[in-house]
This record gives sequence, C-alpha cells and structure tokens, in this order.
Amino acid sequence: MADALTFHAFEIDGVEKVGNDDVLDVKVTPNRGHDALSHRGIAKELSAILKLPLANDPFAVRPLLAPVTTDVSVELSSKLCKRYIAGYIKGVKVGPSPEWLKTRLEAVGQRSINNVVDATNFVMFNIGQPLHAFDAGKLGSLKIGVRAAKDGEVMVALDKKSYTLNGSMLVITAADAPVGIAGVKGGMPAAINETTKDIVIESANFNGVSVRKTAQALKLRTDASTRFEQVLSPEVAAHGMQAVAALIVELAGGELAGFVDVYPELQKPMFANVTVEKINTVLGTALTGADIADTFARLGFAYKEEVGVFEVQAPFERLDISIPEDLIEEVARITGYDKIPSTPLDEARGKPPVNPNFYAAEKAREELVAKGYSEVYTSVFADKGERMVLNKVDSVRPYLRDSLLPGLADALAKNKVNKDLLGLKEVKLFEIGTVWKGGKELVTLGTVSEKPARPDDSGRSGGEKASEKVLEPIDATKYETLPLSTATRFEPFSKYPYIVRDIAMWVPSTTNEQQVQQTIKEGAGELAHKVMLFDRFEKAGKTSLAYRIIFQSFDRTLTEGEVNQSMANLSAILVDKGFEIR
Amino acid sequence: MGSIHPISSLIREANQIFLQMGFTFVSGPLLESEHYNFDVLNVPKDHPARDMQDTFYIKDTPEYVLRTHTSPVQVRYMEKQIKKGVQPPYRVIVPGKAFRNEATDMTHEVEFTQIEGLVVGEDISLANLKGTLEIFFRSLFKGAQVEIRFRPSFFPFVEPGVEVDMRLVGDGVPEKLKDKWMEMMGAGMVHPSVLKNAGVDPKKYQGFAFGMGLDRLAMLKWGIDDVRYMHSADLRFINQF
Repeated sequence: MADALTFHAFEIDGVEKVGNDDVLDVKVTPNRGHDALSHRGIAKELSAILKLPLANDPFAVRPLLAPVTTDVSVELSSKLCKRYIAGYIKGVKVGPSPEWLKTRLEAVGQRSINNVVDATNFVMFNIGQPLHAFDAGKLGSLKIGVRAAKDGEVMVALDKKSYTLNGSMLVITAADAPVGIAGVKGGMPAAINETTKDIVIESANFNGVSVRKTAQALKLRTDASTRFEQVLSPEVAAHGMQAVAALIVELAGGELAGFVDVYPELQKPMFANVTVEKINTVLGTALTGADIADTFARLGFAYKEEVGVFEVQAPFERLDISIPEDLIEEVARITGYDKIPSTPLDEARGKPPVNPNFYAAEKAREELVAKGYSEVYTSVFADKGERMVLNKVDSVRPYLRDSLLPGLADALAKNKVNKDLLGLKEVKLFEIGTVWKGGKELVTLGTVSEKPARPDDSGRSGGEKASEKVLEPIDATKYETLPLSTATRFEPFSKYPYIVRDIAMWVPSTTNEQQVQQTIKEGAGELAHKVMLFDRFEKAGKTSLAYRIIFQSFDRTLTEGEVNQSMANLSAILVDKGFEIR
Repeated sequence: MGSIHPISSLIREANQIFLQMGFTFVSGPLLESEHYNFDVLNVPKDHPARDMQDTFYIKDTPEYVLRTHTSPVQVRYMEKQIKKGVQPPYRVIVPGKAFRNEATDMTHEVEFTQIEGLVVGEDISLANLKGTLEIFFRSLFKGAQVEIRFRPSFFPFVEPGVEVDMRLVGDGVPEKLKDKWMEMMGAGMVHPSVLKNAGVDPKKYQGFAFGMGLDRLAMLKWGIDDVRYMHSADLRFINQF
C-alpha cells in the first residue's frame, strides 16, 4: 500500500505498527487537502491505483437529510459560510466509547473523550468533514447563527482558554452569543459531558482563507482548521452529517429530531477538457484513448470521449481538477510515472550566449587559485548593513552585508590557527559574493591574505591585506574549459586542536628518504596525523632532513605530555636506525 | 595552488554539461519581490509557503524577500525574452543562492545553492525532463549508469509536479551510493499560468522546469556529512576539493 501511494499519489512519512495493524502516515500534498485528508480519500486513491473497486463508498449515494426539524433554526449572516447543517438529537446517553472506536482513534493519535465527541472525530477522520457537537441544553437557545465576531468579543473555547476575537473572524452563535469559533474550535459553555441530554451537531462549510487567518491569529490550529483551510466541498457536509447522526444514535442512543440545512448556493459541477494528443505531447507518451478512459473510470470521474477529446466531470470533492493539466497529471500518476520514457532533447539550435558575470567570476577564480588563494563562501547575514531582515529565526546577525571583508577577516582568523595542519605558509582567501550597498545589490570580489603586500600596509590590524571590488562583467564568445575538482571523497577532519613538533636529523646520503618519512609516520604513533618534510640540504656526504609532525586526535584534545612521549619514542627509533638527531 | 569552493566546482561542471545541451546560464537578484518569488509562480497569497517562518522579509521594504528558490528567474528570463521579441524555444539554467528561514542542522542551511532548469518549446515533454536529467547525472557521476524515477508531488508552479529520484548502478559507483534511490529535486511541467504570467502563450508552448539543491548534490558526490561546511569558510574542508 505504501508503495502504491508513494508512486501514484503521496509520499509516506512512516509506517507504524499499532497492535496487529499498521498505521500509514501519508503526507497529503496541499493541492489534495480538499479530498484526501481522510481515510475515505486515501481508500479512494488506493482503489484507483490498485484497480480495486471501493467496497463501500460513503460518497456513492446522495444523502437525504430527513426529517427536517423546526425546533432548531440556522441563520447565516456571512458569505464565508457556504453551508450550515444542524442536526438535533434528543435524549442521548453520553458515556465511554466502545473499544473498537477507542482503538481506532488512539491509532491515529487521538484521545478518546466520550461517545458523542468521539463519533464526530471518527467521522471527520473517516470522510474529512469537521464536525462539532453542542450540548443543546447549555446553548440557551436553538437559534443558531453564523456571523462575523465583534471586535473584542471574548469566548472561552473547549481548551478552557479565553480568546479575544475580532471582526475578521467568524463565530457560531446561539441567540447571538458566541458558542464556537467557526471552523476552529467549539466553546466551553456548550461542551458535551455526562449530564448532556440533547445535542445539536454542526456540519458546515467555512471559507478556507478565513479559517486559516483566524487559526493563525489565535495560534489555535486544530484538526478542523487544517481541513477547512484546504478548502472543502460543501457537498461533503451533508455526508458528514448523515454519517455522524447515525453513529451517535448507534453509540449513545437518543432520537433523531431532524436536520436544518442552509445551503444558499449549490456547488457548481466542475468540467475540464483534454485531448489524447495533448496528454501525449505533455508526457511524451503514446497512450491510447482507452488507457486514458481507464484512468478516469478508476478515479470515478464522469467523462465523455469524442474524437480524441475527453470532457471530464470531476466528483464534487475533487476541487483540484479545473484545467487540462490537472487531468494530465491524473493520467500520468494513475498509469504510472514509470511509463514515461526517457527522451533526450533535440539538438540545440545555435550556441548559447556566454554569461558575462559568470565568465568574469570564473576568470577571477582561476587567477586567484593560481596565486594560492582558496575560495570561501561566507554568510550574507552580518552585524551591520543597509538592509535588515525582519524575522530571522535565530535573530543573530540580522543585517544583509554591505561588504565581504568582515566575513573574510573572520575566516582568515579562523584558518590562521590551522596553517600547519593545512601545510600552508600563508592563508589567502577570496570570495565572490553578493553585497547590498548604496541601495543596490552588487556582486563583489573580496580577497584577504595574512601578509601585507607592501610594508606600508602593515599598520593595519594584524598586518592583513584585504581588498574588495565590484566584479565587472566580461563579454566573451565562448567559455574556457576550466579544471574541475579532482576530489573523490571528502575526508572528515578532527575538530580538536593539534600540536606541532619538528624533528631534524642527519642521515647518510644513500638513505631512502621515502622510507624515512614512513618510519617517522609509524614511529610517532597513531596520534601523528600528518608528517611533512619541510627542510632538506646536503653537506659532506650527509643529508639533513627536517620534518614537521602534526599530532591530533579525532576524539579528544591531546596533552603536551602524551605528545612528548610519542616524540621520545620516535627519537629512540630513529637513533636505533643510526640517524643522528640534530 | 588554492582551491575553488566545491559548489563553485559543481556549478562549473553543471554549466559545462548543460552548455552541451544548449542551455544558457542566467542569474537574477537574491533580494526579490514577492511578485516574482511568489505571485507569478502561482503561489497564492494565503499559501503556507508565505508564512513568516519560512521566508525572510526585509525591514522597511514591504513586498520584498530573500528569494526562497531560484524559480523567480524562470519568469524574469521569459519576460525579458518576450520583451526582446524572442519567442521560445528557451533552455536555461539558473545556479544561485536561495534562502529559507529555518533552524540549521546537519542537513538544513538557511543559505543554500540551487540550480534551476527551464526548457520551453512547442513539444517539450516530461519524457524530455527524464532524458535531460539522465544525461546530466551520467556526466556528473562519470562511468556510472543512472536511473531516474519520478514520484507524484506538488509545487504550485508546475503541473504535473514530480519529485525526482536518482540511482547509480554498475561499476565505478562509490559503495555508499550504489543502487540506492536518492531524492534529488522537485520538477514538473511549467504551469500554464506561469507561462502566461511571463507573456508566453500556454496554448502554443509548454515546458519543464526543475530545481535541484547543489549542496545536497555535493554532499552525495563527495560523501560530505554536514551541509554547514559549505558556509564554514574552513580550509580544512575547502582545500580538499
């Protein structure tokens, strides 16, 4: 199942064993929040992918919301509510849920509360329609309304927290007093508990953007709000109501008094057209009309085919289907992306122009690397600059840099201490990067090196030499073929400090010097990270060799003592070989 | 001799490979308008991607952000061509920096480098995307056989949208990478609204686009275990390349 979903619908974030069952964590993409944030939605997907008809599709039959009750009234005062269905059930017995229901809710990370609340949650997870149950007795009135909240209006929600609302938010009211934040959370005063007798169930449709903004402003994201903000079909509300009313009567008894359905503007049917030819040009495939018809049939899309043109009507819950490309995607994923061949592009017409900025950057890189400079990338964020970032997560260095030099100076300081380790006489760095200066975004080239080029530069701090200039574009007709990195694998390096020791010795001129280096590497022990020959001269038939040894450990800071011990061991070995330590 | 940054080396190599296939190297600003970063890319005003935690907004410069991807350059490029009277075919790559306002760890950096690809023409298909990426990865991982697979995904600026996985098989493949499917990038067929927003007629032209993280590619290619090395300016890292 996980594979079927992964390659035809959604990524699977995990598969968790729960009891004797598996729970799939499906990452529903934002375009499918309309229909797939539910078990029915996922089952429908699997049915299309695996070509297995749904045994029981809750959306197959149009629900009949009967009988109608006049005990409850509903008045919509905002266009942000497209549909509101109230269901009235009298004489329920609130109590614990049966085991099967508890187990199922707990499997998806929910806490069982009581049979009535659990029923609303179960149906929501099952078909995707958020639902809410009010204690009818505590509502104070059965005159339900949906209106914009008043600025400063306060409501205590089911989480027992008090929320201050404003005019951009929508509330559910009973006799004009707020009893719920529309699409987000119900109110505490009408909460269901053991004393509850009669209930009013809400199955409604609220505007996605409005719910999203409200949930954001109140910092109150709920299972209901995450579904509404994806935009739901108002048709689903009827299915939700029918299913939840039946389940509550089954679990908590009571008598269904009836429904009130306010649905001012019916959802319009959604049509999209696509040709067989268009599908094949976009996908690069050779699918037939029959292949395409098969996809639509499996998805439960109504379609007509005439001379290679498909006119498709998507089911009400598939609000994502509106343009031909949406249908092409359905065909691609249901038939399978593995059916898409690999076709190279045709030979290009003409030669692409050279990018003068990239050309200039590449030329600068080559010149500097030849002079011993290495390229660094430093952060664009800085302690100062002309522009400031509003909302940096870590809130340090909130400015956009106006120069590369401070970053390069930091980098120089950081690398200077590793000079021996790096085998460098002098650290030289450059960066080609973006700065924001003089109201403009510029790409500059900055360089920094340890030693001043001219003696009169030495007055600067640390005696460093630094320069920065705007990288001027260079027009060229073709790119040079420049060398690429020859590295094959990155070698991790120790984050602990290192200790340097030098050792010099006279050896007979006939000595194999490579062997000497090997002897030193072995003789200095496992703490010796690197051995370099740094001086060599000959005198009177003898050769003087001077080596620099870098001691460093991957898991701790070395002590002078242990390095001295290693050096003593090494000296003994070299003396033993007959070399004369200088 | 010094070293160039491994990402610079990758960009150089990518340009060499894509140049052979007729792609032009283009760039765009890092400080980008919401218009180009979001609106023209079909990212609606109330899309979660616009939430404050993901995007860097700029003080006193409302409606400007540090670009969250290299995709705005798609539309900038097409607009410019149309203005010059140059209709598709277009083939461009956009290597460059992008920014996400999130906590950093071994695999997440606030500043990262992407390479965007865009190909538009009368009959450019998803099959061409597969073919193009195969050539790219085959050249990059020399000697290796490359397999590409698509998984369904969603990005507002493409339709259909896919996630692209890559697998290296055969000899000469580092043991750690061999036969393993790796998630490489998001891609898809350019959404008709994006073409329209750029002034390209979506009835006549279609194309593919992809956006690949170069930091991740470098990490795979060289076995680098921490993305934070990229901006560490540490020569113990850089001088290995």
